[in-house]
Amino acid sequence: MKTMKSVLLLMISFSVAAMAEGTVDVRTVVQKEEVTVNEDGETVRKLVDADVVVPGETVFYTITFRNVGTEPADNVVITNPIADSLVYIDGSAFGPGTDIQFSVDGGRTFGRVDALTVVEDGVERKATTSDYTHVRWVMNNDLEAGAQAVARFAAVLE
Amino acid sequence: MATGTPVGTLVENTATVDYTLAGADYSIVSNTTTFFVAERIDVDVTLASGQVTVPAAATGQALLFTVTNTGNGSESFSLVVDSLLAGDDFDPEPATPSIYFDSDSSGDFNIGDVAYSAGSNDPVLAADESIDILVVNNIPANVLNGQLGRSQLRATSLTGSGNPGDVYAGLGDGNTDAVIGTTGGADSDVGEYVVQDVVISIRKSQLVTDPSGGNEPVTGATLTYTLTVEVTSAGTATGSAVRDVIPNFSTYVPNSITLNGAAISDATDLDDGEYDITGAPAIAVRLGDLTQADGVQTVVFQVTID
Repeated sequence: MKTMKSVLLLMISFSVAAMAEGTVDVRTVVQKEEVTVNEDGETVRKLVDADVVVPGETVFYTITFRNVGTEPADNVVITNPIADSLVYIDGSAFGPGTDIQFSVDGGRTFGRVDALTVVEDGVERKATTSDYTHVRWVMNNDLEAGAQAVARFAAVLE
Repeated sequence: MATGTPVGTLVENTATVDYTLAGADYSIVSNTTTFFVAERIDVDVTLASGQVTVPAAATGQALLFTVTNTGNGSESFSLVVDSLLAGDDFDPEPATPSIYFDSDSSGDFNIGDVAYSAGSNDPVLAADESIDILVVNNIPANVLNGQLGRSQLRATSLTGSGNPGDVYAGLGDGNTDAVIGTTGGADSDVGEYVVQDVVISIRKSQLVTDPSGGNEPVTGATLTYTLTVEVTSAGTATGSAVRDVIPNFSTYVPNSITLNGAAISDATDLDDGEYDITGAPAIAVRLGDLTQADGVQTVVFQVTID
């Protein structure tokens, strides 16, 4: 009897996950900027796949999410960790119709840039970009059925 | 720039979307992006010694440099000395061999320091690791006091060098790609020798001859002064000259100046000295550019006691 119950619970959680995945689709890509000079001597910048990245280079993360269901999704929040070896580039986060917030405590709490502080050697100081552990985008409005939104940020590989 | 993320580090990224749908909370994760950190090749060469003071013709004069791997992987470097630089007064002559590891970490060139031989013991440095290198030159004999001679140490990555951003596919640590960093994979710095310590000595002695044939410093006695000048080190003392003021209560004996036994006239003319009365009466003799090889220069003059 006990076994039956856990199997049943498992089935329910599977169906919830399947339903969720079918409702909002999220993809992320990492790219870097390739700067070339064309035949006319003009500098051309384009984003290319980040296959080869060396310290000091900038990488761009783009998160695309789409509501593929039939109902609007509300309270949409996109959260992205900033890897230890990356330093967020000030002002690079971008997301139309979102409130952009950062965490300096591993994603437990978030705040706007000006409100973030860290304690270092017992002294509280204003957080810098290298303190950021996560970035998140809080959508101001519902994500309507069929709508797609984009969030992006850039970071330097230390 | 600090070394940075080690080559081969895997950097992953996964985004999460939380939302509410029909009163229920959902959380889904994106695909995970990954990239491996490739090797960045960078090197820094910095002169660690100050200006080195040398005598002319000195051998085995060392400049100390520090070579640092500022890339993020393990890298080997070739080392080259260039002493034929523009903008100095003389070219130091690289010793054979001219590059040594500061094996005893003394900062000085010592007998125990191991010579560098390109291709056989190229230094291998981990990311952020440094090594002290001595560049050893000989100083030419014909240099003059105050002259400068420069010598450069250049370190070049053996994996490759070139323009920042150049990619050496698969040649990085762990078969990652190697990418040339901002230094171009090569760096150099310049050290300087200054010729300074020419040692010149001067001695003065006197001989008294009194009118009665004795050696008493009485009125009418003659004092014969002998000045000896000598360079006792390597190097050249340029424009050497002797000037000696006639003592009080004595009178210069006309035409008594000699240089190395040869008479020098009192007049200010083309010879190498004169009796100069433009200020306090004095004898002046020009010795020119002196080296140790010129030996002792002897100037003699006489006065009588008033």
